[in-house]
Amino acid sequence: MIRYARLLSLRFSFFILFAGLFGLAPTISLASKSVSKVPAKPVSKPLEKVRLALNWKPEPQFGGFYAAQITQLDKKNGVELEIVPGGAGTPVVQMVAAGQFDFGIASGDEVVVSRARGSDVVALFAVFQTNPQGLLTHAERSFESLADVFKSNGTIAMQKGLPYAVFLQRKYASGMKASIVPYLGGISNFLARKDHSQQCFVTSEPFLANRQGAKIRTFLVAESGFNPYTTVVITRRSVLLERPELVKNVVMAVRAGWLHYLNRPTEINQKMNELNPSIALETFEQMSTAQKPLIEGKTISKTPLGSMTSARWSELSVQLQEMKIIENKPDSATLFVEL
Amino acid sequence: MMTLAAPLAPLLFGSFILEFLVRSKFVPSYILPAPSEIAISLYTDRFEYLMGFFATAKAALIGLVLSFVAGTSAALLLSLSPWLRKAFLPYATFFQTVPIIAIAPVLVIWFGFGPPTVIASSFIVSLFPIIANSMLGLQSAEPRLLDLFRIHRASRLATLWKLQLPAALPAIFSGLRIASGLAVIGAIVGEFIAGGGLGEVVDAARTQQRLDKVFAAVFLSSFLGLFLVVLIDFISRRMLRSWYADESAEQRP
Repeated sequence: MIRYARLLSLRFSFFILFAGLFGLAPTISLASKSVSKVPAKPVSKPLEKVRLALNWKPEPQFGGFYAAQITQLDKKNGVELEIVPGGAGTPVVQMVAAGQFDFGIASGDEVVVSRARGSDVVALFAVFQTNPQGLLTHAERSFESLADVFKSNGTIAMQKGLPYAVFLQRKYASGMKASIVPYLGGISNFLARKDHSQQCFVTSEPFLANRQGAKIRTFLVAESGFNPYTTVVITRRSVLLERPELVKNVVMAVRAGWLHYLNRPTEINQKMNELNPSIALETFEQMSTAQKPLIEGKTISKTPLGSMTSARWSELSVQLQEMKIIENKPDSATLFVEL
Repeated sequence: MMTLAAPLAPLLFGSFILEFLVRSKFVPSYILPAPSEIAISLYTDRFEYLMGFFATAKAALIGLVLSFVAGTSAALLLSLSPWLRKAFLPYATFFQTVPIIAIAPVLVIWFGFGPPTVIASSFIVSLFPIIANSMLGLQSAEPRLLDLFRIHRASRLATLWKLQLPAALPAIFSGLRIASGLAVIGAIVGEFIAGGGLGEVVDAARTQQRLDKVFAAVFLSSFLGLFLVVLIDFISRRMLRSWYADESAEQRP
């Protein structure tokens, strides 16, 4: 009886062993595989909600921010992004300075001017290494350079007072024949008149004009020597000092979002197109392709995406002072932080 | 003296409080500039402000004169026939509800950059109060006097010219007073879009975060509106001297 019991016990042990080897093992293996597919939670702390104020509507120039939100790269970095689109003339830099938003988008020159006026805004991440601001002209006018545009008759629509407009007017003041008129947004005036040129983002309006059948030629303002960082994520120094971890997480989320968008923009473009159907999906694709080299810049693979240098901030401060837009230069090293 | 001191007192008190708040860093100057900064800006950039002020004043005055001519003419025509009134008055009301900021970019396409668009914007905004008040005035002639004209078989035109129009003058001037402030607003909106004047100064200062300049230009445009109201008031008192004299005589015990 005891022998029989031992035999049973032995058989049971073999059963367990075989079951384990041939039956349970695949289950365990499957389980282990499925576990490996679930991403490990890098941040155990609760997500912090962050509002990011844009200075325009959902467009590819903000693609990386939407990518961070849509692909949940923000949450993987410990923050939950809420993106608040802006409109024409939304004073984001002043809203961030006043504390209405902790994070926002501004251009490099806005940051310098704001600091010179006494605010404590600071740049965290620069999307465009090359300023995409340019002039949109009719190809029929056969301009070869920015100088040609200013030294020919006609009108140039530029937002008066903007540093790049002041810079160009000073640079091409000698022999200037064109009249500077207010920029109204959109391209309707451009399409209506052949002698009309206007400011643009070379990654945006040219595609809209092409779609309307216009033959165009664009010139980058950066080529004239004025090249501030553009689409810059900003915060206040007080936020940086009080919540450095949060600021770092935001920068990491934004960087991850932009890396995703630069390599796989299609899905994000579709989502942004739903938010901003005034621009065709095809145009979204063209815009995101055109802006890629201006974002990656020459420093790609040498420094992390969105990096900035003190030399460029210093050069911008000098230019703004020369243009008499600011009286005193802020310390360029304090205008930005590398995270 | 007292008439000037009364409105100046809150202005001075408010300015003092604001100056104190900014100087003691309760309010940063990049959010709200101190009155002294606005005053300094008014002096430093005085030529820019003066040129802007006169450009806006010119456009607003032309817009106001055009709306006065067109508005009173329209009201006279509408008062001649109840049918015309029913047919066109709804459109005049519709005109009032047009959001000028929304149609201003279209005005540029029609009239081009510069003063023509600014004047058109000023005209559109200031037209309706003149039509509405003139209509009201033309219908406010005393019924017994209308009966008297009818008994004497006065023509429709004679009744309009000798009775209704003089009776309508106080209401027409009241409309002009309202329209004068609106003409300045219309001109500033037009200048945002078409360039020139104080509107352009505000627009450019805004982009450079110069709130002191924004407030200085806003102060000047308010001053322009106030000046036009006082001017209309002065003209109306001169023209309606006898009417006011009769009115004050009636009020005397």
